[in-house]
Amino acid sequence: MADSPLSSKNSAAAKRPVVIGLEVHIQLNTKTKLFCPCSTDYIGRTPNTNVCPICLAVPGTLPLLNDLAVALGSRMGLGLHCEIQNYSNFHRKNYFYPDLSKAYQITQYGLTIAVGGYIDIEPEGRPKRVRVHHLHLEEDAGKLVHPTADGRLTGAAYSLVDYNRGGVPLSEIVSEPDMSSPAEARDYVIRLRQLARYLDVSDGEMESGSLRVDANISLSNPDGSLGTRVEIKNMNSLKSLERALEYEISRQNKVLDSGGRIVQETRLWDDAEEVTRSMRSKETASDYRYYPEMDLAPIVITDEQIEDFKRAMPELPWEKRERFAREFGLSGEEVAILTEQKELARYYEETIAAGAPPARAANWVRMEVLRVLNETGTSISDFPLGPSVLAELVKKVESKELSSTIAKDILDTLSREDITLDEAVKRSGASAVRLTGCLLDEVVDRICAANPGVVETIKSGRDKKGGKMKFLQGLVMKETRGQADPSEAAGSLSKKLGA
Amino acid sequence: MEIYEMTASETAEGIKAGRFSAVEAARCGLSRIAKFDGEVNACVTVTEEHAIATARRVDGMIARGEDPGPLAGVPYIAKDNFCTKGIRTTCSSRILENWIPTYNASAINFMNGAGAVLIAKSNLDEFAMGSSTENSIIGPTKNPRDLGRVPGGSSGGSAASVAAGYVPLALGSDTGGSVRQPAAFCGIQGMKPSYGEVSRFGIVAYASALDQVSPLARTVGDLAMALNVIARPDPNDTTCDAYDRPDFAASLAMRDLRGKRIGVFAGFEAEQMDAELYGALTKAAALCEAAGATVEPIDLPIAVKYGVATYYVTALADASSKLGCFDGIRYGTHIDGPTLTDMYANTRTASFSEEVRRRIILGTCLLTEGFYQNYYGPALKVRTKMAMEFEELFSRIDAYLLPTSPSMPYPMGTKETDPTRLYLGDIFTVPISLGGLPGINICMGFTPDDLPLSVQLVGPRYGDASLLGIAGVIERVVGRPGAAAPRKLEEVR
Repeated sequence: MADSPLSSKNSAAAKRPVVIGLEVHIQLNTKTKLFCPCSTDYIGRTPNTNVCPICLAVPGTLPLLNDLAVALGSRMGLGLHCEIQNYSNFHRKNYFYPDLSKAYQITQYGLTIAVGGYIDIEPEGRPKRVRVHHLHLEEDAGKLVHPTADGRLTGAAYSLVDYNRGGVPLSEIVSEPDMSSPAEARDYVIRLRQLARYLDVSDGEMESGSLRVDANISLSNPDGSLGTRVEIKNMNSLKSLERALEYEISRQNKVLDSGGRIVQETRLWDDAEEVTRSMRSKETASDYRYYPEMDLAPIVITDEQIEDFKRAMPELPWEKRERFAREFGLSGEEVAILTEQKELARYYEETIAAGAPPARAANWVRMEVLRVLNETGTSISDFPLGPSVLAELVKKVESKELSSTIAKDILDTLSREDITLDEAVKRSGASAVRLTGCLLDEVVDRICAANPGVVETIKSGRDKKGGKMKFLQGLVMKETRGQADPSEAAGSLSKKLGA
Repeated sequence: MEIYEMTASETAEGIKAGRFSAVEAARCGLSRIAKFDGEVNACVTVTEEHAIATARRVDGMIARGEDPGPLAGVPYIAKDNFCTKGIRTTCSSRILENWIPTYNASAINFMNGAGAVLIAKSNLDEFAMGSSTENSIIGPTKNPRDLGRVPGGSSGGSAASVAAGYVPLALGSDTGGSVRQPAAFCGIQGMKPSYGEVSRFGIVAYASALDQVSPLARTVGDLAMALNVIARPDPNDTTCDAYDRPDFAASLAMRDLRGKRIGVFAGFEAEQMDAELYGALTKAAALCEAAGATVEPIDLPIAVKYGVATYYVTALADASSKLGCFDGIRYGTHIDGPTLTDMYANTRTASFSEEVRRRIILGTCLLTEGFYQNYYGPALKVRTKMAMEFEELFSRIDAYLLPTSPSMPYPMGTKETDPTRLYLGDIFTVPISLGGLPGINICMGFTPDDLPLSVQLVGPRYGDASLLGIAGVIERVVGRPGAAAPRKLEEVR
C-alpha cells in the first residue's frame, strides 16, 4: 500500500483545504424530447428508432420547445430555492462530434431559467448549506457504439451512432464550490436526488444515467487562494463519486507534495481500476463558440406562471421531515428513514390514517415493511400489502389480538400471496378469540403437569435467575401458538407456582 | 393573351372559370422551361410528373365543383433550398446533390393547399450565399432580360423564372436581399415580409435570425395574394408570429397616397450608385408626391454605414453553426478518411464551394474568444442602435424609399472574384433584414437596353399590408412595367 495514492491521506500535506463544486445533470421526466415529439424512453431500444427529422438535424427543421420541460425545470429551481427568471433563452454550443446531429448542442448559457438557491445538507449529522449557482435546460447527445469486445473506442475499426438519446431533456444544476469533502458531495447528490424525486422531476437513477455528476475539485494553496481545478467525469454511482473524489484528493496532494503542479484538465474515473485518468486538456468556454439560438423564441415565464408553479409544489423533503417529527413525535432517525422516499412516507401516513398508532406504525414500516421490500427487491409502490391492511394488522397487535411474532408471519404471507388478512390470520392458526383467563390457566396447568422436574426446581426456590420460569413461559406461548399475552402467561405461571 | 403572360390571379381566375385547365397552365410553364431554360439555366430540377399530377387533381376538384383555393392551378417555382417531399433539394450544393427530403417546407404545404402547382425547383447561389446565382453546381443562371448579365441572387433562379414567363409566381428566401435584389435585376416585384411573418420551417437555413420566405411575382397584387397564402402562424416554427394576419390583398384597394408620409433616402453621394438607379429613386419620389404623399428626404446614418459589416458578422456567425450539420454522417455526400477529423475535412472540403467555406470559416472565427468581443458583441450593439434608428424613422413616416441595389445588373463573371465589392452590393438591403422590416422591390421601368430600374420600398415591422398598398399605388402610376416580357429573350430562340 505504500505507493498507493490513498496512503497519503493522512500526511501533513493532506491538510490543504478541499474545494468541490458539482455539476449535476438530471433527465427530466417528460414523455417526449426537449425539441421534438420523439419518445424519451431510449434505454434498451433498437438504435435510431426514437428519432425524427428534428432530432436528426435534417436540413430545414426547427426545434420546438417542450413546455413540460420548462415547467419541470422551474419546479426543480423552486425546490432549490432559486429565483425563476421571467426571461431566458437558448444558445448553440458548437462542437463537431458524431453524437451531436446539429454539430451544436442547444443549451442555456448566460440567461438561464433559474438562478441562485441552495440545498441544506447534513453529512454525518453536520449541517451545511451548499449554494446553487444556477439551473439550466439543455438537450442530451446521442451515443456512440464501438464494435469492440470491451465497447471502447480503442481498436475499433468503425463506430456506430445511436440518436435515440439525442434531444432528451436534461436540467443541469451547477453548485457553487461550497463542498469540502467527498462525504459532503455525496450528501449533496443524495439530497438533490431526493428533491428531484419528491418533485416528480426525474427518476434520478445514477446507474441508468438519468442523474449524472461531474465534479470540479481543487486543493487550496497555503495562502488560502484556490488551487487549480480538475474536472472528473464518468462516476456512475454515489460510491464511485466518493471514491473518485478521495482518489483525486490524494493524487493532487501527492503531486503538490512532490513539488509538482496540478494541470487543469478533465479526468475520467475508472471504476474497475479505481483511478482517475487524464482525458483531455480542459476546453475553455470560448472553444464552444456559444451563439444565441435564433431558431427558438425566448422562454418567457410570467410572474403568474411562477405563482402557479409555487402553488403546485408538493411538500418538500425538509418540510415533511419537520412535520413528521412534530405530528407523530418520531425521532430524527425514524423521520429520516420514513421520509427518504415520498412513496414510503405516503404509505406510512396512510397507515396512520387507517387507524394505526403513529409510533407503532413507524416501527412496522421501518422494520418489517422495509425488510420485506429489501428481501423481495420490490419498491413500496409495488408492495402488495396496502396501508389499510398494515393498519389492521398493527391494530390487532395493539389490541393483543395477535402476537407480534404471528403478525410478522402474516405480513410475510400477505406480501407473497394474494389472500385477505382474515384468510392469512386463519391460516396462521391464531384464532380470532384470544386465549386468556381460565383457558390460559388450563394450558398453564397442562404444561406444569408435563414438566414436574422444572416445577419442583422453581417451587424449591432454586431458580435464582428465573431461567426455568422463562422456559415454562416459552412452552406456554408455544402451546398457545402466540395467542396468549406473554405478560398474562407469566402472571398465571407465577400465581400457580407461587414464585 | 397567352397563359404565360398572365398574373397569378388572372391564371387562377381563368382556371376557375374553365377558360383553360390547370394541366394546360402547367404544360404552358413546362414548355417555356423546355424552350428557354437550356439558355437561362434557372431550374435545378423540373418536376413535370408531380406538376401534371397536381394539376389534374386541381382540375378534378373544379370539375366536381369544389374550390381548390385562391391559387387554383397557378404554376409556381420554389428556390431549391425549400424542402420538397420526394423531390430532390440540392441548395445548389454538392453536399446535397442527391438529397431527397421526406417532408415539405410549411410554405410549400401552404402553396399546395391553396391549389398552386409546383413545376420546378430553381437555382441559387450555394446555400443562398451570394448575390449573382453564379455559384451553383448546375452553373450560373442568366438574366432573361440580358443573357450576358447576372440575374442577381441568391434567389436568381426564382427571379429569372418569373421574368422569363415560366411561372407568374415563385418563392425565394431573403436573408440580406436575396429576393429583393434579383427581383430588381430581373425587373419584377419581390417582397421580403417582416421577419416572423412567414414560417421558415423546411427552408435550409443560411442565417436563422434573418432568413425569410419571400414571394416573387410580376405584380404587387400577386405578391399580396401569395402572402395571403403563406403568411400564417405555424406550430412548426416558434419564431413565426402567431398573430392573426390581415387580408394583404385588401390593402390594394388604396387609390392614392393622400395623407401618407414617405421618406426618401438622402444619405448617399451620387457616385456610390449607378446614375440610372438614382434617377429611378427620384422618379419614384416624384410619383409619390404626385399621388398625394408628403415626401421628405431622410438620412439613415447608422444603418447604411454599419449595415453591411453588421450583417456579415451576424449572418456568417449564424451560418457557421447552421451548416455544421453537414458532416457526411446522416445524409448528403460522404467522403471517408482514416480518422473522424479526416472524414469531416474530406467531406466538407470537397462538397462546399470556396465561397461557402469562406463564410463558414469567417463565421467560425467571429465566434471564437477575442474575435467575439471585437466583432460579434459590437455587431449586436449596432443592431440594437439600428433598430432604434428604424423605430424613430417609422414614428415619422409610413414608408421609406431607397435603392434596392447600388448597381445595375452586371455582366456575368465580373464580380465574384472580389468578395468585398460583392458584399457592398447589399448595402441597401441588409439593414432592412437586420431590422426585421418588410421590403418590396418595385420595378420602375427599363433602360433603352431593357435593363430594369428598380427601387425598394420599406415599412415598419408587421406593416406589410399597408406597405403592399403603397407599393400597389406606385406600381399603378408607373404603369406596371414589371409585367413586361423580356424583349431579348424571344430573339434567342
